[in-house]
Amino acid sequence: MNLATKSALVIGAGGLGGPALLTLAAAGVGRLVIVDDDAVETSNLNRQPLFGEADVGRRKAAAAAARVQTLYPAIRVEALDRRFDAADAEDLVRSVDVLVDGSDNFPTKFLANDAAARARRPLVHGGVLRTTAQLLTVVPGGLGGCLRCLFESPPAEGEVPTCAQAGVLGPVAGFAGALMGAEAARVLAGERGAYEGRLLTFEARSARSRIVPVRRRVGCPSCAGVQALQSSRPLPREVSSSRPGDGA
Amino acid sequence: MTPAARIDVRPFACPLTYVKTRIALERLAEGQVLEVWLAAGEPLRSLPRSAAEDGHRVVAVEALAGAPGSWRVLVEKGAAEADPWR
Amino acid sequence: MALSDERVARWSRQLLVPGVGEAGQERLGAARVRVVGAGTAAGPALAYLVEAGVGKVWIDDPEAVGPADAAAWLYPPSVAGTPRTVAAQAALEALSRFAAIEPYPTGGVPTAALICAPSVAQALAVAEQSRRARIPHVVIEVDADGGGVVAIPPGAPCYACARSTDSAGRPPAPGAAAVGALGAGELLLLLCEPGRSGGRKIDVVRGVATARPTTRLPGCACAAVDPAQGP
Repeated sequence: MNLATKSALVIGAGGLGGPALLTLAAAGVGRLVIVDDDAVETSNLNRQPLFGEADVGRRKAAAAAARVQTLYPAIRVEALDRRFDAADAEDLVRSVDVLVDGSDNFPTKFLANDAAARARRPLVHGGVLRTTAQLLTVVPGGLGGCLRCLFESPPAEGEVPTCAQAGVLGPVAGFAGALMGAEAARVLAGERGAYEGRLLTFEARSARSRIVPVRRRVGCPSCAGVQALQSSRPLPREVSSSRPGDGA
Repeated sequence: MTPAARIDVRPFACPLTYVKTRIALERLAEGQVLEVWLAAGEPLRSLPRSAAEDGHRVVAVEALAGAPGSWRVLVEKGAAEADPWR
Repeated sequence: MALSDERVARWSRQLLVPGVGEAGQERLGAARVRVVGAGTAAGPALAYLVEAGVGKVWIDDPEAVGPADAAAWLYPPSVAGTPRTVAAQAALEALSRFAAIEPYPTGGVPTAALICAPSVAQALAVAEQSRRARIPHVVIEVDADGGGVVAIPPGAPCYACARSTDSAGRPPAPGAAAVGALGAGELLLLLCEPGRSGGRKIDVVRGVATARPTTRLPGCACAAVDPAQGP
């Protein structure tokens, strides 16, 4: 299936977004939009294959776009060096065929979830924490539920995550991100998503998978496309580096 | 109880504060106590919880004498890490 | 020997992961891994091994970079036609200055192997060499639906006992990179926590991973107590 006429927006170019971008590019998707407001740090290099030694200090969106473009010159790659924000989230998502969420914090994940529904675009959601990967696909108008059907709302903002939760094993993030890219390619090709209506969790040390059905919750405002978009507030650096769900 | 080792993580930012602590704990035997000097604010809020999550026991949290804004946490090393999915 | 501050900063995120820690990171630094294959699934696997801090990687692949290798994450079009080992080495060295990367078999003996060979025969042969040398090894299989990963710690059921018999010939799915990453992950776990688990196989079919322990086929030489005495 030729995906050269298709496009994807990937939030985050790090541990999840990086492998997702590479997988989408390898699958021949015609246009990729990368959204990331961060800079490359040394501690990223255990798990972010788009960046090497020479990239430390560079802006991630630009560095990621440059690397993808070098490997896949035929693909159009756009870099947006800013946060995925409520102000234009819906318009951004509407400008592509699929949204791939490799972000590393829950407010952004919920924003992605709500914006995709409003823009009537499929969403591939992923998360990684320590040795566990999680995947869910939300298709507009589908029978499967969304992130709000599963969680109702992000964890309380006031809850400070622990440093221990900042741990991530590189290949686990790579596994999750590459699966996200493959899933997005599947959805773009018109096939049924593997994670549509079901949350897949994979823990790497035990190699155990769990599949949890996610049904559309009656009255879910996000699924109905009417959930008001809420911005994820930028947080002080030291906290944003270790939030629950971080690891991307 | 006399600590078997002491570490000062005040120069570091999270998560490096806990990375250093975790390594220091790794070098101790079960039951031995590590004394950690850390700064108020995020390290103080986060480190004891991280240690507890990893199966260690926080024995004491007290102000560090002679260093306003600094704290002293005593952590007793727990048993080998439990498999979360067993 | 303690990790330097530089190394602690580089691998701070994985030092926090249960099962890794300073001891695990040091084992990775001391590991010398022979990687067979540098194509579609092996490319991502190589990237993750190097990024994780494996001290030495040998690339064992005689082929030149071809059009299908674009999916391997390492090869811009400008290196098409050049030897995979040379191009992969350059790409991997850019990822990390802590890894020593060389074409196989330049100097030294592997302490582990990651096998992503283009043919079943070669995979079986290298796996058997690894078994006899009693080194942990992981075999990556790629097929049209995804693929599979077989983890073989020393003494576990061998690859011949565990492998898939129905995959062959069809071009890899976009999920090949995921299988490569999974293979690297399995090898990291074997290196960080030796003796923790027995052999297992993880199949990835249309994005869903299913694992099971491997078992010996009756009569297989891998059941011999001393592999060097096998037929």
